[in-house]
Amino acid sequence: MLSYRPGDTFAHRLDPRSKLLVQFGLAVAVVAHPTVPWLAGATVLGLLAAATARLSPLAVVRSYRVVLVVLALAPLLAGVTLGPPWFRVDPALRSARLVARVVPVLFVSAAYLRSTPVRETRAAVQRLVPGKAGQLLGVGTALVVRLFPVVLVDVREIRDAIRARGGERRPPWERARLLVVRSLERTLARSDRLGVALRARCFAWNPTLPPLAFARADYPVLALGLALALSPVLTRF
Amino acid sequence: MIAVRDLTFRYDDRIVLDDVSLSIPEGQFCLLVGPNGSGKTTLVRHLNALLTPDSGAVEVDGTDVSEAPVVARTTVGMVFQHPRDQFVAATVGADVAFGPENLGLDRAEIDRRVEDALAAVGLDGRADERLDELSGGEQARAAIAGALAMDPDYLVLDEPLAGLDWPARERVLSHLDSLYADGTALLVVTHDLRDLHERADRVVGMRAGRVALDDDPETALDDLAALGVRDPRC
Amino acid sequence: MSQQHESVELVGEETVKHFTTAVLVAALTAALSQVSIPIPGPLPPFSLQPFGMFFAGLLLGPLWGGFALTLYILVGIAGVPVFSNGNAGLGYVLVGQGTGGFLVGFLVGAVVAGAIVHRGVEPRSLSSVSVPVQLTGLFAALVVVYAIGVPWLSAVTGFPLPRAAGVMAPYVPLDLLKLGIAVAIVEGGYLVRR
Repeated sequence: MLSYRPGDTFAHRLDPRSKLLVQFGLAVAVVAHPTVPWLAGATVLGLLAAATARLSPLAVVRSYRVVLVVLALAPLLAGVTLGPPWFRVDPALRSARLVARVVPVLFVSAAYLRSTPVRETRAAVQRLVPGKAGQLLGVGTALVVRLFPVVLVDVREIRDAIRARGGERRPPWERARLLVVRSLERTLARSDRLGVALRARCFAWNPTLPPLAFARADYPVLALGLALALSPVLTRF
Repeated sequence: MIAVRDLTFRYDDRIVLDDVSLSIPEGQFCLLVGPNGSGKTTLVRHLNALLTPDSGAVEVDGTDVSEAPVVARTTVGMVFQHPRDQFVAATVGADVAFGPENLGLDRAEIDRRVEDALAAVGLDGRADERLDELSGGEQARAAIAGALAMDPDYLVLDEPLAGLDWPARERVLSHLDSLYADGTALLVVTHDLRDLHERADRVVGMRAGRVALDDDPETALDDLAALGVRDPRC
Repeated sequence: MSQQHESVELVGEETVKHFTTAVLVAALTAALSQVSIPIPGPLPPFSLQPFGMFFAGLLLGPLWGGFALTLYILVGIAGVPVFSNGNAGLGYVLVGQGTGGFLVGFLVGAVVAGAIVHRGVEPRSLSSVSVPVQLTGLFAALVVVYAIGVPWLSAVTGFPLPRAAGVMAPYVPLDLLKLGIAVAIVEGGYLVRR
């Protein structure tokens, strides 16, 4: 998977809120307009977004390869029929067109992942969601990012331990039950220790927020995102 | 001064702390020893109001901690036993900044505190590194930096040397020495006195929720066996 | 010293407890999404992802359970590879391979399960919740997951609804089995200490 890499590209300098809005707007727009001109426009935008983050299209394709393979199978599956003629072209083409619109959205997402450190997403969440909910979502995001690798190591260790003791010979649901129970126990013990650590460091509702500010370049990007997000409504008139 | 008065604490009807009284003056290097389950960790969690006593009270510099938890937690810094479970961010700098951010300090002051705290444990210039990629000793020091960023006068450390190899122990110890030399009071919870008893001003021993020993380190050595703590000389 | 920090509003102890449990349940959901148990035969692998939703609802109730799954999705949007097969990104959630609806379904499902099991915002002890109520809560959560996931899949891939439902049908018996396992874990007394 693509991950953040420090840099000074156009995409890096944008505010995370502008970048999130463009991704959301593009997804709304392509779902609302599954037509060839919109598809072409979206593809240009996707490639452009990758370029502003100095991200090669090949790298994007590689990182989403599993998703893309599954997507590529969709038109085939849509065309198959259970009796003669066994394959119908029309539904397959329709599905292909619908699936193709997904690709630009993945490109814009990839540009976001490459150019945005987690702390900026966290800061964006804290500003976009008002009040106490925003504060908890922001700190929570940072904490899950921190703890996911730790818990993943726990779960894999437990899985290997079950395997080492001949768990393979047990039925799958039995193994699943053991794995989930042990993982839950370890995870909840971590939760207690984390709670004490947060309180010791004065976990508060009103901390100093991570700095975040719109620059001049953000305004056209925000406008684009907003226009895309509202496009299903705007094009009615 | 930290003053603990007649502290009693129950957990599920079991008495964990039984009428404990103790005072710790500014600038002292004090060891808190005792077997597992003797109440050491429970006692120190009362010092900055992480636990609320069933009876009795804790005062820090004349303020009751249960009435002023923020004062208590900025005056008494706490470093827990498992560094990995007390980090709240993925990178060193973001983690150390967590405390000062909660205090609502301005960004310049936060940056200054993070820099100072990292320098105090020999991690200067490493704010952007990922905590998971640090060695065990570096994680232990990063955890200390997180507490130091609160600018405490007292620092409580729960088993700070557990699981560290010899060079990592030496580094942590040398940073504790300089904190002590700068006037920070240290309260180290441990069941292993090696490398610590010759540094300390005082040893407090606990057994079954009571203070069973309170002496200078030399005298205390003779009473350790009765507490189930190994004599560091053997 | 004391005057300096008068403006600090500490998060209360109960809230911290629910919050850290939600954080760890989100991290566990992310970890379980990366692990599956292969089973012989034509069935898809036994993914552990739904357990995140089940235990979010069971342990945390509707509010904090929903919060946990929201965190899980947000962390994926922020770029951490927490979705199945190590995927991430807002694009994956919204359109991806068409399965983003299941992610949103897990979130709504956790809220529904939590609401049925706990009958209120504040989570209550599971020992006071009867097995039929737990089963109903988790079953309703699964219904919600498919009710959101299948039309979403149909919209993204262009499959007609029955075809999209057919694609997902093999997962249904496995998910019902997982539901049974989750309730067995609760009834086995592994969580009573919470």
